[in-house]
Amino acid sequence: MSTRLPPAGWAALVGAEARMVARDTAGLVVPLGLPLLILVMVGLTTAGVPPEVFGGRTPLEVVGLPLAAAVVVGMVGVVNVPSFLAHYRRAGVLRRLGVTPAGPVPVLVAQGVVGFAQVVAGCLLALLVAMWGFGAGPPSSPGVALGGLLLASAAFFALGGLVAALAPTTNAAIAAGLVLFLGTGAVGGMFGDASALPGPLAEAGRVLPFGATVHVLGAAWRGVPPDLAPVLGPAVTAVVAGLGAARWFRWE
Amino acid sequence: MTAIEVHDLHKSYRGRVAVDGVGFTAADGSVTGVLGPNGAGKTTTVECIAGLRRPDRGTVRVLGLDPRRDRRALRAVLGVQLQEAALHDMLTVAELVRVHRSMHRDGADPERLIAAVGLEESAGTRFDRLSGGQQQRLSVALALVGAPRVVILDELTTGLDPRSREDVLELVRELAAGGVTVLMVSHRMDEIERLCDRVLLLDDGRLVADANPAGLISAAGLTERVRFRTAGGFDRSALLGLSGVDEVTRVGEEVVVSGAGDLVGVVGTELVRQGVVATGLREQRPTLDDAFLELTGRRLDAGRSSAGRNSAGRNGEVAA
Repeated sequence: MSTRLPPAGWAALVGAEARMVARDTAGLVVPLGLPLLILVMVGLTTAGVPPEVFGGRTPLEVVGLPLAAAVVVGMVGVVNVPSFLAHYRRAGVLRRLGVTPAGPVPVLVAQGVVGFAQVVAGCLLALLVAMWGFGAGPPSSPGVALGGLLLASAAFFALGGLVAALAPTTNAAIAAGLVLFLGTGAVGGMFGDASALPGPLAEAGRVLPFGATVHVLGAAWRGVPPDLAPVLGPAVTAVVAGLGAARWFRWE
Repeated sequence: MTAIEVHDLHKSYRGRVAVDGVGFTAADGSVTGVLGPNGAGKTTTVECIAGLRRPDRGTVRVLGLDPRRDRRALRAVLGVQLQEAALHDMLTVAELVRVHRSMHRDGADPERLIAAVGLEESAGTRFDRLSGGQQQRLSVALALVGAPRVVILDELTTGLDPRSREDVLELVRELAAGGVTVLMVSHRMDEIERLCDRVLLLDDGRLVADANPAGLISAAGLTERVRFRTAGGFDRSALLGLSGVDEVTRVGEEVVVSGAGDLVGVVGTELVRQGVVATGLREQRPTLDDAFLELTGRRLDAGRSSAGRNSAGRNGEVAA
């Protein structure tokens, strides 16, 4: 469904979504606060780990920052954005927008843009805290780090789109999003080293978006090329979930 | 020129027929009311015209545009106020009007529009903190924000207090005076009688009448009545002989004269001439309420708690 929205209209819609997100203060606590908590915990509890273990980098750089980034992307992509979209459909906002010249599509795009801005803000905040508070350095391969973040965003936002498409209510969207987030997080190392999990579970966790993000970003900090499976995993997730979301999304 | 053209419109939901062969045209600049009880197909009809629903059969044209095929062109000239459509609930009145304005290339000035619907003092209030009436007025403002040539208003005065209702109705009158074509769905006969040039009466998905309000009443074969009370006698045949009088009946102490024309004037003069002491002389005009009952055999507001003006009494009379 194509639209012809004037540039001022796009700016106004993105501004409107940004206000909605900013006024939903409860929704900002987890994506911006939890990563900082993870960073501080990893920073404080791994101070004695010798640098050889992580190829000359600290655990905070190789595990803490990637975890923090995965939490931000996962939480925003699969919980926050779909909860807004499900609410907009449920309340009739999308239906109302359907009778404007712009149609309802731009509001989805605007919500995605604002979600991605939240991801960037959350990751920058975590990086600044890590650099100033714990003496962390930038990634050895900035390109890989950036690519990993974009890939993670594509995968989690597509999953979020699928959640928004299938969830009948706002609460269902939040519940489904949290299950996806915590599930992929648990097998992806959010609650401790995932390599200690039983073999198949650890393997699955490594290619699912959360664990894959942690792996790719960890590799970027160490300056080694990432494995193929954790790159393919999020890419396939992005395509499959994105197609599913486009196929099943309902406007009312 | 024709602004809205609907021909042989059919729409069913899961086997249940909602709209069954509705057809009508609305002239440019006219105000057309769509009237009918709950479930008559009013909202489905206007949603097909607004392009929100795909008709099963039939054609719809708005200013010559097909609401589905020419969706984009239609959106620029058609303003829609929907029943139960929400907005971004954490944005303020001013923010919402500006956002919606920015989605149109041309349109109204946000500040003036907010003033026009009487929301100046609430401009900084979030949508979720507005009263129902204020939300309704905002939704009317958003229907007008793109300076449309055709406006669809679905139950626009539902939930409004009497003053807000007057303001909103005045707004519709101004729109019409400005040449905008209005299609309004309503439960309220009094609104339709006051505002509309035309009334479409829907019942059970079908168009049962299409006329101007007065025409609809005469089509239903309803007559005007004059009532008065008198304890003593009077010359009944003299009353029957008056021009316009069709019938004189006595119900207890009350006398009912049916007919047409300036009934109250003619009857009053005759009673004075006869020296009859009559009290409570009053005129009773049939309303769209009565017309609907006559045409469909059912009350327009059947099942609704907010029954209209002393309708129960009239109901009994018409049935008698």
